[in-house]
Amino acid sequence: MIQLHNVCLSYQAESPALSDVNLKIPKGDFVFLTGPSGAGKSTLLKLLYADLSPTRGHVLIDGVNLSRLPRSQIPYLRRSIGVVFQDYKLLPNRTVLENVAITLEVLGWGKRDIGKKVFHILKQMGLEDKINATPLRLSGGEQQRVALARALVNDPKILIADEPTGNLDDENKEQILSIFKDANIRGTTVVVATHDKRVIVNSHRRVIRLEKGKLLEVTDVQS
Amino acid sequence: MSRAKQSVRPKLAQEGFFGRLVFFSARAVANLRQNIFVSLVTVGTISLSLLIAALFLLVYVNLEGMAEGWSDKVQVTAYFNEEPSPLAVAALKGRVKAIPGTTKVVFVSQVEAEKRLRGRLKGQESLLEGITADVLPASLEISLDRGHRESASVASYVTALKQIQGITEVQYGEEWVKRFNSFMNLFRLMGTLLGGFLAIAVLFIVSNTIKLTIYARKDELELLGLVGATRFFIKAPFLIEGVLQGALGAVISLVALLLCYFTFLKNAANFLGVNPAAAGLSFLPVPHLAAILCGGVLLGFIGSLTSLKRFIHV
Repeated sequence: MIQLHNVCLSYQAESPALSDVNLKIPKGDFVFLTGPSGAGKSTLLKLLYADLSPTRGHVLIDGVNLSRLPRSQIPYLRRSIGVVFQDYKLLPNRTVLENVAITLEVLGWGKRDIGKKVFHILKQMGLEDKINATPLRLSGGEQQRVALARALVNDPKILIADEPTGNLDDENKEQILSIFKDANIRGTTVVVATHDKRVIVNSHRRVIRLEKGKLLEVTDVQS
Repeated sequence: MSRAKQSVRPKLAQEGFFGRLVFFSARAVANLRQNIFVSLVTVGTISLSLLIAALFLLVYVNLEGMAEGWSDKVQVTAYFNEEPSPLAVAALKGRVKAIPGTTKVVFVSQVEAEKRLRGRLKGQESLLEGITADVLPASLEISLDRGHRESASVASYVTALKQIQGITEVQYGEEWVKRFNSFMNLFRLMGTLLGGFLAIAVLFIVSNTIKLTIYARKDELELLGLVGATRFFIKAPFLIEGVLQGALGAVISLVALLLCYFTFLKNAANFLGVNPAAAGLSFLPVPHLAAILCGGVLLGFIGSLTSLKRFIHV
């Protein structure tokens, strides 16, 4: 369960990025976070994996108040959250396998187990033939799928994605969305920030709309 | 977040200190290979910086050795009014040797003194006409150990020497000893100052080079933090990399120093007109070599540690 209570966040000398946001995302839910550029979508996502702290209010993940979480415990929180970053954050001098393996290395997995698990997830993503390629040799859609594989490889409780379909064609968008749906079916809570209306409409999921840092509406669209 | 810690953190594939060390070392070596260019730049900078410092040390150690050699000239001569009998000479020598700081005592008889004088004035023997051995006093020539060649030590030694019956006059080139000690003090001060500046410069250059190489990999550091790596997990391979780079840099600098030394020895006679063997030149002693090696390792470690602080936000 993700809970935000009266969350406000201001960057220095700027208007508030988030103001008085109250939100509950139950376990196993799939929600879209939408709104124009600068609405505060990325900021809200960063609060969920403790990359930012709210200026006021509380963020709770599974009942744990992130404001009270000691800094040394943040890594353990992040291990239960898979994040797909807007800019992918793939390491250019490492292979696809090594990029995905990072998540499991951090968890302390053995080399053989990492190899098996990474190959399995890359096969699911249709990237098994790119295992030894470096990210710069991949297309945008392939890079996105590698980032997604890295986020999902340890079966996280929560999956967060920031504009995952931003630069992709329709075919790649569909592919990425079906991966999100599969993860959600397996029990992962999915939070996707996007301003792509077509993606939202076709998905028939709950939509949270942000504008100028304020939560405007929450619509339940069920298939 | 103890619940998250318990539920998410699995057992390490290689448990224990050595298991982790092997994992982090393997990661460090892989990182070095993957970032071969920046690694080479760092190793090159450390090598060059340490080579400059080691060359300075080599020159300093040899100059100090040469200067210390000059202090062998600090000799005390005790004169007798009357030449003592051979039996008395043996007793006197024993008493002089009992004074702390004495390393060698040589008796110079009146006849020997005359012989030496004639030897020194070879070709001008006419100056010595009418001079017999009786004119020159018998003496004891005393060498002091290195710990007793300071002005104050020599002075107190002379005072003790004068207590011995039969010795009427003592000479030891007081002025020379004072000037020599002043020179040595100045030499050491300059050496320490220059060495200190050089050490600061080396520290500055190396730490900034490491900072730049870590800056080039700040995305990797950021990503590791975002996927749940602890500070230790992020830092350990970088620190091992720093230690490896520092050690490799130090070894390269020492090999280069050895090459410089032998090249100099080979060519010194040609371009300096100096016989290096006769000048008593030597390579750095083992403790100095060990210090340079440790210095390299420490530079790599501290350089990495301080640079990492800036880029790890976990």
